[in-house]
Amino acid sequence: MFTPTYVAQQIINGVNLGSMYALIAIGLTMVYGLLRLINFAHGDLLMLGAYLGLLLVSATFMPLILTLFIPMLVIGFLGILVERLAYRPLRGAPEVTMLITSLAVSSIIENSMVMTVTAQPRAFNLPAGVNRLHTVAGVSFSTLDALTVGLSVALMAALTLYVRNTRTGIAMRAAAENLRAARLMGIDINRVVMVAFFLGSMLAAAAGWLWAAKYSTVEPFMGFLPGLKAFVAAVIGGIGVIPGAVLGGYLLGFAEIFFVGFLPPAFSGYRDAFVFALLLLILLIRPNGILGASTEERA
Amino acid sequence: MVRVEGLTVAYGGIEAVRGVSLEVAEGELVTLIGNNGAGKTSTLMAISGVAPIRSGRIVIDGEETTKLPPHAIVARGVAHCPEGRLVFGRLTVQENLRLGAYQRKDSAGVKQDLDRVYALFPRLLERRTQLAGTLSGGEQQMLAIGRALMSRPRLLMLDEPSLGLAPLIVQRIFSVIQQLHEEGVTILLVEQNAHLALTLADRAYVLETGEVRLAGPAKQMIDNPEVRKAYLSQ
Ligand SMILES: Nc1ncnc2c1ncn2[C@@H]1O[C@H](COP(=O)(O)OP(=O)(O)O)[C@@H](O)[C@H]1O
Ligand SMILES: [Mg+2]
Repeated sequence: MFTPTYVAQQIINGVNLGSMYALIAIGLTMVYGLLRLINFAHGDLLMLGAYLGLLLVSATFMPLILTLFIPMLVIGFLGILVERLAYRPLRGAPEVTMLITSLAVSSIIENSMVMTVTAQPRAFNLPAGVNRLHTVAGVSFSTLDALTVGLSVALMAALTLYVRNTRTGIAMRAAAENLRAARLMGIDINRVVMVAFFLGSMLAAAAGWLWAAKYSTVEPFMGFLPGLKAFVAAVIGGIGVIPGAVLGGYLLGFAEIFFVGFLPPAFSGYRDAFVFALLLLILLIRPNGILGASTEERA
Repeated sequence: MVRVEGLTVAYGGIEAVRGVSLEVAEGELVTLIGNNGAGKTSTLMAISGVAPIRSGRIVIDGEETTKLPPHAIVARGVAHCPEGRLVFGRLTVQENLRLGAYQRKDSAGVKQDLDRVYALFPRLLERRTQLAGTLSGGEQQMLAIGRALMSRPRLLMLDEPSLGLAPLIVQRIFSVIQQLHEEGVTILLVEQNAHLALTLADRAYVLETGEVRLAGPAKQMIDNPEVRKAYLSQ
């Protein structure tokens, strides 16, 4: 019933979706690791990245890759700005205060978009070549699919190299593990947090562009569901740990695609419910996520 | 080198340190002893800029640092080897050590100090690519001390370096402290093992429920009947 080609197709779709979840989850997990902040506005930066991409794609003749890189850069700086204005004044506040603030920031961004560009979805159309289908051994994928996976892997590899080897990257991992000890080492936490917001928001913008391209549409609330699912991915992988976010992202992408692809069509409607059921299941077995620190380690 | 004046540290409503004044002069080894909960750790954390200071002043090299963030305190030559080690378990031994030198720009000097720490604790050299979380308690304590040394500090604060360690390792660690003292590093040592600390130190302060109860030369403290009774269990 499921031919090898069909299975291969599902795998390609899973990698595709998983790449985007992973990109989004990285920013969430970096910020949570440092500040214990669940940043609901993260999905909205993704959305802004997609809109900015649309603007550049439709109103300019710049090379396609620039319509992606410019939003990444701009949204990276916007992430820094959001942190400065909304989150830094709350340093040391209870987690619930920060959570509510991030919900507020999210609403403000979404409402501002509704007021200025309206809630009307807009088409995000790329040059025809990008959506051209290639068929290899009966399995088909578009140039965009290849771009999505290639770019995501390249970005994540670059981030990994950065976090593993640079002075700031090592400081970031240390601060995520034990903030107080990191401060005693002379690490300026505000600087590390700024870098985390910049990198995380940049990756979110990339994901937003890819997401909009895949579904050929943008709208002000488009960031909500990917943001939420990426958060689930981060928790599954072990929140605060970057490889965990990547692992969780791919796991969730595959699980979702396989759920829809291999179960009778009647189940498809439960796709999102399934995601959360999977989360609960994994947390029952590994309360701190797959790669997460044990509770004692966290103290 | 460092002067604490009328320091009060409060967590919410609880005053952990009340009006503590103490001083460590350049090159001195001063120890802070006292029972659990006396406020020793809070005092060190306040000097490092990570404890909530309600009142009082901290002066380092004549400059008030009371309100400065911890990275500014480190920049003034203070290293803090905290209670419970707080090594970064997910980082390698070498990454932990390099973080100790986070603010330093002289890579040649950092390399030199890295070699020095490895010479002091050869165990760390053997395990330099291992995750710190996989080290034994004693090795983690050596790493925490080594990490503090990596900033080439002028004032080294050590909080309970012997806690929970086997006597042989305690000996090793205290001989390193002695050696650093002889090299001229200013040291503020918090220690449960009062006998060991008083033998090594120039001067001592005894803290009781957040207040300085006694202060004086360490040799006199050893002979003080009150101290003998309360802290040397004699
Ligand atoms: N982070 C904290 N929050 C609340 N209370 C604390 C905190 N740290 C220490 N205390 C309290 O402050 C008092 C002094 O603790 P501490 O400075 O750790 O003493 P010591 O190092 O001498 O054992 C204790 O009663 C302790 O419970
Ligand atoms: Mg203590």
